[in-house]
Amino acid sequence: MTKRYISIWFRHLLTDWYIRKHPDAGDSPLVFSTQQRGRQLIHATSRKAENTGIYCGMAVADAKAIYPHLVITPYPPDQEHHLLTALGQWCIRYSPVVSIDLPDGLLIDASGCTHLWGGEHNYLAEITLKLSAYGYDVRAAMADTIGTAWAVARYGNDATIIPGGLERKALRPLPPAALRLDDTLLTKLQQLGFHKIEDFIHLPINALKRRFGQAFILRLKQALGGEREDILPLGIPSVYEERLSSLDPIKTAKAITIAITRLLDVICFKLQQEGKGIRTATLTCYRIDDQVVQISIGTNGASNNTTHLLKLFELKIPSLAPGPGIDLFILQALLVEDVISEQEKIWSATGSADNNITKLLDRIESKIGSGSIQRYQPAEHYWPELSIQPFTAPNDHQQVNAPRPDKLLPQPLPIEVTAPIPDYPPMLFRFMGQLHEIKKADGPERIEREWWLEDGAHRDYYIVEDAAGRRYWIFRLGHYAVSQTQWFIHGFFA
Amino acid sequence: MKYIELQITSNFSFLRGASHPEELVEQAALYGYPVIAITDHNTLAGVVRAHVAAKAKGMRIIPGATLVLQDGPSLLALPTDKAAYGRLSRLLTTGNLRTEKGKCELYKNDVYTYQEGIQFIIVPPHELNDKFDFDNNFKQAVKEYKAAFGTSLSLAAVRTYQGLDQKRFFRLHELSRQYNIPLIATNDVHYHEQSRRELQDVLTCTREKCTITQAGFKLHANAERYMKAPEEMIRLFRQYPEAIDRTIEIANACQFSLDTLEYIYPEEILDKNKTPLQQLTDLAWQGATEHFGNTIPDSISKAIKHELTFIEEMNYASYFLTVYDIVKFARSQGILCQGRGSAANSTICYCLGITAVDPTKFDLLFERFISSARNEPPDIDVDFEHERREEVIQYIYNKYGRNRAAIVATVTQQHLKGALRDVGKAMGLSVDTLQQLSKAVNRHTDTFDEQLLIEQGLNPDDPNLRKVVALTNQMIGFPRQLGQHTGGFIITQDQLTDLCPILNARMEDRTNIEWNKDDIEALGFLKIDILALGMLTCIRKAFVLAREHYGLQLTLANIPQDDPRVYEMISNADTIGVFQIESRAQQSMLPRLRPKTFYDLVIEVAIVRPGPIQGDMVHPYLRRRNGEEAVEYPSKELEEILGKTLGVPLFQEQAMKIAIVAAEFTPAEADLLRRSMATFKAKGQVTQFEKKLIDGMVKNGYKPAFAQRVFRQLEGFGAYGFPESHAASFALLVYVSSWLKCFYPDVFASAILNSMPMGFYQPAQIVSDARNHGVEVRPVDINHSSWDNTLEEKSGLYCAMRLGFRQVSGLRENDINLLVQHRAAGYTSINQLYDAGLQLSTLEKLANADAFRSIGLDRRKALWEVSALHDHPIALFAGQPSETAYEAQITLPLMSMPEHVVQDYATTSLSLKAHPVSFLREQLSALHILTTQEVNNAVNGIPVKVAGLVLVRQRPGTASGVCFITIEDETGCCNLVVFQHIFTRFKSDITQSKLLMVEGMLQREGQVVHVIVSKCYNFSKLLRNMTVIPGSRDFK
Repeated sequence: MTKRYISIWFRHLLTDWYIRKHPDAGDSPLVFSTQQRGRQLIHATSRKAENTGIYCGMAVADAKAIYPHLVITPYPPDQEHHLLTALGQWCIRYSPVVSIDLPDGLLIDASGCTHLWGGEHNYLAEITLKLSAYGYDVRAAMADTIGTAWAVARYGNDATIIPGGLERKALRPLPPAALRLDDTLLTKLQQLGFHKIEDFIHLPINALKRRFGQAFILRLKQALGGEREDILPLGIPSVYEERLSSLDPIKTAKAITIAITRLLDVICFKLQQEGKGIRTATLTCYRIDDQVVQISIGTNGASNNTTHLLKLFELKIPSLAPGPGIDLFILQALLVEDVISEQEKIWSATGSADNNITKLLDRIESKIGSGSIQRYQPAEHYWPELSIQPFTAPNDHQQVNAPRPDKLLPQPLPIEVTAPIPDYPPMLFRFMGQLHEIKKADGPERIEREWWLEDGAHRDYYIVEDAAGRRYWIFRLGHYAVSQTQWFIHGFFA
Repeated sequence: MKYIELQITSNFSFLRGASHPEELVEQAALYGYPVIAITDHNTLAGVVRAHVAAKAKGMRIIPGATLVLQDGPSLLALPTDKAAYGRLSRLLTTGNLRTEKGKCELYKNDVYTYQEGIQFIIVPPHELNDKFDFDNNFKQAVKEYKAAFGTSLSLAAVRTYQGLDQKRFFRLHELSRQYNIPLIATNDVHYHEQSRRELQDVLTCTREKCTITQAGFKLHANAERYMKAPEEMIRLFRQYPEAIDRTIEIANACQFSLDTLEYIYPEEILDKNKTPLQQLTDLAWQGATEHFGNTIPDSISKAIKHELTFIEEMNYASYFLTVYDIVKFARSQGILCQGRGSAANSTICYCLGITAVDPTKFDLLFERFISSARNEPPDIDVDFEHERREEVIQYIYNKYGRNRAAIVATVTQQHLKGALRDVGKAMGLSVDTLQQLSKAVNRHTDTFDEQLLIEQGLNPDDPNLRKVVALTNQMIGFPRQLGQHTGGFIITQDQLTDLCPILNARMEDRTNIEWNKDDIEALGFLKIDILALGMLTCIRKAFVLAREHYGLQLTLANIPQDDPRVYEMISNADTIGVFQIESRAQQSMLPRLRPKTFYDLVIEVAIVRPGPIQGDMVHPYLRRRNGEEAVEYPSKELEEILGKTLGVPLFQEQAMKIAIVAAEFTPAEADLLRRSMATFKAKGQVTQFEKKLIDGMVKNGYKPAFAQRVFRQLEGFGAYGFPESHAASFALLVYVSSWLKCFYPDVFASAILNSMPMGFYQPAQIVSDARNHGVEVRPVDINHSSWDNTLEEKSGLYCAMRLGFRQVSGLRENDINLLVQHRAAGYTSINQLYDAGLQLSTLEKLANADAFRSIGLDRRKALWEVSALHDHPIALFAGQPSETAYEAQITLPLMSMPEHVVQDYATTSLSLKAHPVSFLREQLSALHILTTQEVNNAVNGIPVKVAGLVLVRQRPGTASGVCFITIEDETGCCNLVVFQHIFTRFKSDITQSKLLMVEGMLQREGQVVHVIVSKCYNFSKLLRNMTVIPGSRDFK
């Protein structure tokens, strides 16, 4: 059977995608920029940007000179790959053999598929129409060879379906670049005056091979069909989804637990193989009365531990109304992340204590609602209010730069103080109506504001101990001033 | 004395200190410190500046260093006497030479080797461990230091205000008692006043390559590292008064002053049993005889005697001899050189061959250039051929040795752009905003204001941007790195390392000292500038060509002087390629000035400079010269100074003399004034001087407007000082190059092309200029060309010039040598070149350059042949026919003329075949666009349209945003003037165009024709379309 291939060219892949996501961005010229050797270069342009004369590889600064209101978006590395993969997977509905063609195209092996859509013309029209409807500016062509389809899609005039055997004719008026050649070869061809494929296609193969090398001949033959070319089809995307149906409707919590356990076992096994874990998962239950009920769980760290995940589900089971009974369970892992396997610490006494804390936190949070637990860790700032930050992920133990109180007040509270001037520790202070006589004191620790954030006076912090042996963290705002010296308490030591 | 600050980090500890040494000294003086130490990190680079500033304030500096060691805690090192200072300098040299430029690698053992006579202070870490104690390593090191340094050791205590000061002091006190090392109070000063903390934080960010928000604990916690008053220090150390007393003790022990460093001239320059003066006298008379024959003119011998007396009085003989020695070497090697500078145009220098400016032609009073008020050496710069200067430099190294001769440093200062980049990065500005700002600031403006933000469409009220503006302005003028001076050499009799540390330069085989020329001058050391000048290379090459092809024996001194034809050519602004006067600005000045004598050239060289332009002196001078304005002098006393320049001050010396005579400046003050303008920072000082100058002049009866102009002129001289003495030396080269161009345009053009890159113009302009002057130019060819451009047999008036392979981009000289070696009877086929060993890539480049015409191949055929060469039989099979030989003849697509021209431009950046614009003439004419020739012949005031390739685009800083453009078509060149508002409007067209079309008004002033542009169009598309094959469609 003769092969039939489609080559699809996304003329503005990145920008079309971006405009699809941010419809407003389509109003003015848009480019993606990358940093290369310290220079901002244009990586991709939208059609509007192209029309103003901006091209790929141009310096962003130059482009801005041409069009000052240019919208510049940083290029997310490998974005084409991601996008094309997704688009390719979508195209699998048209053919099982779809391949991405970096940086801006897809290849579809359409052999034997077209009749399902009523012939090649309809088939091709359907694909381009659908992709265009998504907002992608595409050109597609079909031919017996990948090379010709590629060439015609990018450089051809009108005919987009090249019947078998007419490759040579189709290629003749096209520029050499249509043959997928590298730049050095193209320059050389240009210098020799070969502006179109027809200028050299008739020359003896040997004469061409000697001058332009094997790679050139290969590309030529691939386009003409003299050389076989294979494509690497995309795989079917892996989904973390398991289903379990039961003959008898299930109503009891215990039975539901068993169902969940089975599903988790399968999914967790799969996840463990891939070194991944669940961050969020949803259990969808189809009841015999055609109702659907769902419960979801979330974790503080990716987990593929059946027991732990089951515990989280167990907490939610009471909220699941089985009604007349459930006959189909579908468990979907919606958010999956790589599991960071903590290295075993042989000498560490606490062992996997951290892990246990994570698990405990998951459970508490499941009980009392998400967002109810806040954990803080030191942040590298001198200014006390900025020196803590919400815990996001476990990382290296952050150092504090100086002794800090165990309890830090969210807001410093004013106190009355008797202190010698100018910067000696105070002798007594009154806080919440109570007088504290200071027995011991250390300081001052002078902390300046982060000047790039705010202006204002520095603080002179003192660690003081009262007669009862309690320690406080107090400060004077700014230098001593006769009229208005303000003192505050900011924390308590144990 | 109450307390002395002994730990001060200035901004010569790059990216650490946040104040200039001068600022620190000034602050210290304000607090009444009689003496302070400067202790930069592993360097003495900032001490001379501090020393000079301190002397002015009646203070003393202890030149020290913070020794940052690889294997131990840092030490402050303060030399007690001259010998100890020499050892410190040698110690730092050791560390410098051990590693790459900009670093200094020191170990404890090095310090032990050079410790004698140096007072050391241990710098303890600012942090304590969990047990509120110093870690054991530190304690061990303290013990070791004590054993090594004995009583010359102290232990520094700093109030850090980081919360643990009490505990640290307690621990330090413990250590001090345990090892019997006296505690010493310091404040680890990093800036002179508290407000500099922000800048210091930014410097830290630059050093640590992070933004201010990421910097965290890399910054200092507070702003306590400023210079504190002695009383405050005493209060802070009230519990440890002995630590305060110790500072006095150390300061008293360290009595060494930089003033005691003595400069001794090298002895090698002397013959046996002669004093320098005897030897100079002998050489001078000997030289005079050579120049003038046995009857030396009276005026000359009088001048020589006069100068010798002066030299004797000032003790400068050795200096002249040292310069003479270097010049003698250059001449023995056939290296062309020419001296300039204050003393270089003396009669003696003429006799010694240091300059070729004939003193009889040029009346310059010797003392006018050497200020006897200040006991400093005269300044002689010597320019050498740029391609051969290295030979001279290596001669100096070889003669005096690397430990006695070195290049002085240049302190690279932060310019606005660099400062903006550093501050902007630290403050987290986006790359785009930064680029936007950075593009907007002109490289040589030195302030950055809100206006700029507004122009760039940024919000001037944004607090972050306001900080950026403020900090950038503070950082401008900060030293950023030590580079090597372009050629300033210091040569001594004794070890140079006893005077100043030496460090590796980035260039191989070069070493330089840490001090720059001002430092050297302040200490009265000898410096000779060994400079490189491209024009000298060009002139030497021209002399060689003139000898080979015209049998002339030319030297700088024997070129026929004052030839009216040369001045006529110059007056017609026919000066492409000529030294100095080839720029657009100069060219438009020439027809107005119409130089007729050598001194006119001196003025011409000096007049188109920021000084006279900013001082608004150019037009008054021109008016007076053309008799449109009466020559009058502001006063009798100024007539003497301004006599030669028609009452208008044009030279730096004149402006300074005016300050002295009319505003009662002392010579030293006038010099300081000039210098303070050259540096960016000393703003306050400049304002003071401005007041003094203007008030002084007004008081003495001068018009305030004139005083203002003199001041602005001085300001202009500050950055690009251009004294008469330099102008005179340059004027000689102007005349010599003009003479060559006038009578031997073939020789001149070849010499310029062979000395490229140099000058304003591209090879294409030099070639087309030569053709316009009747020189036949022949294309590059494998059978006729060499690497250099050469002259062939006479064709018409002049020799034909054959373009050399150096004009072809991408070719290497070695490959071409191979080609020339094997050429013998000439090549007849491409195979022969391949057999000669030329690489395919080289042959391809030759083919693309169309260099195979002499064997009957055009570029396309040649390329077709070359690309098949790789299966040409070689070695064993050499000589056998290849498969290619049996190939059927193939007809390649014919190459159109436009395609050829485009290829010519791509390979040699010029085409002898045709001008690209000629192919577009029909299209352009249809649009009523004139040729440049038509424009240049048109009458004043008519509207014109003209198009051409953009040759030069200049926006000089002195022209208030005006852009000068030169365009070229097949008939010649045309000069465009684009005013600021038009430039802003058509910026993208102007900057993007290769082919520019403009509409504008023709302005004719005598022979000078300009088009005052009103609209610009980018016509580059036409050029591209020239080679695009119609019908082909390119979607990309």
